[in-house]
Amino acid sequence: MITRRAAAQLIASAAAVAAMGTAGAARAANQVLKVGVNLSLTGADAHSAKLILDGAQLAFDEANKSNAVPGYTFEVVSFDDATATAGQYDPVQAATNARKMVSDKQMIAAIGPQMSGSGKAMAPILSQGDLATITPASTNPDITDPKFAQQYRPAGKPIYFRTVTTDAFQGPNMANFLADKLHVKTVYILDDSGAYGVGMADAFQRQAEKDGIKVLGRDRLDPKAADYTAVLTKIKSLHPDALYYGGVGQAGVKLAKQAYDIIPNVIKAGGDGMDTPEMLTAAGFPAAEGWYVTIASPHLTDSTKAENFVKAFKAKFGEAPDDYAITAYDAGLVIINAVKRLVAEHKPVNHSTVREAIQNSQTPTIQGVVAFDQNGDIKDRTVSVFQIRKDPSKPLDDMEAQFHYVGVAPSA
Amino acid sequence: MTFSDLLLQQAINGLSLGAMYALLALGFTLVYGILELINFAHFNVFMIGSFIAMGTLQSFGLSGQDVILTGLPLVGVLVAAFAATMLGSGVLGMAIERLSLRPLRNVSGPAAMITTIGVSYILFNIVLLTLGADSKNFPNPLPPMRWHLGGAVVELRQLLIWAVAVVLMGGLWLFVQRSKLGKAMRATAQDPEAARMMGVEVDRVILTAFFLGSALAGAGGMIFGLYYNFTSFIIGFTAGLRAFTAAVLGGIGNVPGAMIGGILIGLIESYGGQFIAASWADVIIFSILVAVLVFRPSGLLGRLAPTKS
Repeated sequence: MITRRAAAQLIASAAAVAAMGTAGAARAANQVLKVGVNLSLTGADAHSAKLILDGAQLAFDEANKSNAVPGYTFEVVSFDDATATAGQYDPVQAATNARKMVSDKQMIAAIGPQMSGSGKAMAPILSQGDLATITPASTNPDITDPKFAQQYRPAGKPIYFRTVTTDAFQGPNMANFLADKLHVKTVYILDDSGAYGVGMADAFQRQAEKDGIKVLGRDRLDPKAADYTAVLTKIKSLHPDALYYGGVGQAGVKLAKQAYDIIPNVIKAGGDGMDTPEMLTAAGFPAAEGWYVTIASPHLTDSTKAENFVKAFKAKFGEAPDDYAITAYDAGLVIINAVKRLVAEHKPVNHSTVREAIQNSQTPTIQGVVAFDQNGDIKDRTVSVFQIRKDPSKPLDDMEAQFHYVGVAPSA
Repeated sequence: MTFSDLLLQQAINGLSLGAMYALLALGFTLVYGILELINFAHFNVFMIGSFIAMGTLQSFGLSGQDVILTGLPLVGVLVAAFAATMLGSGVLGMAIERLSLRPLRNVSGPAAMITTIGVSYILFNIVLLTLGADSKNFPNPLPPMRWHLGGAVVELRQLLIWAVAVVLMGGLWLFVQRSKLGKAMRATAQDPEAARMMGVEVDRVILTAFFLGSALAGAGGMIFGLYYNFTSFIIGFTAGLRAFTAAVLGGIGNVPGAMIGGILIGLIESYGGQFIAASWADVIIFSILVAVLVFRPSGLLGRLAPTKS
């Protein structure tokens, strides 16, 4: 039996050994540079978060292995912005994480967040701390819009960079797609009350009206509620050609299930929030069948440019990456490249210098050369459209097999 | 769809929702009637009920919506799943009472209520941490049968919800009115001290109330899964809060009141979604709650038992 005193001694000696160990390692090894990755790792969007985290991790692992920046080792520190009470991302938690990041001097840049609602909470804090983040997934345009600079970058300099384009293109381009390619004349619009969903639906609505699509109505879903039959019955009575949903999976999956029962013949479309494996695992077929979704990046997982990445990703993590795993990997490459240039020019590596170097990035990545405009948005503005169609010959929960690439959405 | 079809369809939607709220509201009311305790753990007993139901259905080899059963196998599977779910949830309810509430029986003030909030969060987080945060695809063996009433549609699963709700609520009503234990429950609700002096085992009555309320919540959880074809660790809060509102609306502590309150909340939610906006559902529901509490503090039907001093 271990007495309390013996246990205390054990713990103390273990701590001493551990401390010696780390001290020894630090002397011998490279200087560690931390990169904070903030995602919704436990929420309703946990699976897409995992793919993004793995994509980013792979970039830094490869850099460490090939000693891309001599004298420096990258360390990925993951932060979860989902909370149990929200069941998905929680802006309050995201703000807390951002505060932790800026107070850590070893942390030279960040990747994320996944969710625009988190991004809105994090941006002002990151701005004050002059810490750059590159989001591979959050697409709400307000955060980088100079109109809202006071709010999201109070310190002046852009700190919110993206390796995806924004909903200012994602929503409208889908409206164009519905009007031009599917000849939609009337639409009903829903959103999920979140920053991303509302912004997406707003942007879609503006362009749809310009395209001559008649908007029959607009309503808002409570993502924690279970029952959307009332609003869907109302939509049924209006006979729209299409339903557009701006939002993420928590409400989206339930919407897909119930919409299949009530309005099976209406065209259904959503943004990258619906580009989620949950459409296959939780909504499933036949409910998911026919949904059109967009992503705010070029479609790359099938392309030859991503071949090596996909192979390495599958080998390491045992599942296929999605396109935002690639944009996350690209975000990692941008950060590594920025540090590399600073080191080559014998400049200090800190929050401000890395931010500056990212701003001037011309980094070759999987999706092409990543460069940012004066607000931090990526210069390439491709929006890709997918349709979910059941392919019974392949696993039904495999996104790569069941989300079929339709093409690039027409830009405005 | 004509306007009258639309009204009918929303009534069908609302009644289905309402039946679920009513089953859940009964649990609040049973416990409140006896202990004057608002049991917030009830929210997540409902949630866990849906997971027990999912596990039971999966143990019959059902997954997703691929396997459709008909006839006797369907009835057998459903009866077995309802029985397992109600038993499991009922036992969970009893365990909550025995482990976390009985030790506080004689502590005055809000200690017991706060404890139920704590238990609720414990259950919630256990499910979150062990089963994950993603929505689960709930197995549904019901054939996709539907009938047209003019322009409105009634589905088999809606009929099932109503049937189950009517049977369970009828059974509860008979139990409370006719059985010896039911009479003991009513006696305890009226005056626990007097009931004890007359030889009623109050602890047993309380355990029974927790068992029954939780079993009904479990049945509600299973209905939820069959109706929406999904479940998730988070479903307890919204449904639980609305069911709690239903119980208060009908008159908390009052069994028929909980049923009527549940149906009303369901109808308010669906007609509100039609004529105002779905996003205003909570505003409408809770405004009605406030109005009822202001003008009829004891709810629509009031409390049957006199308030304890």
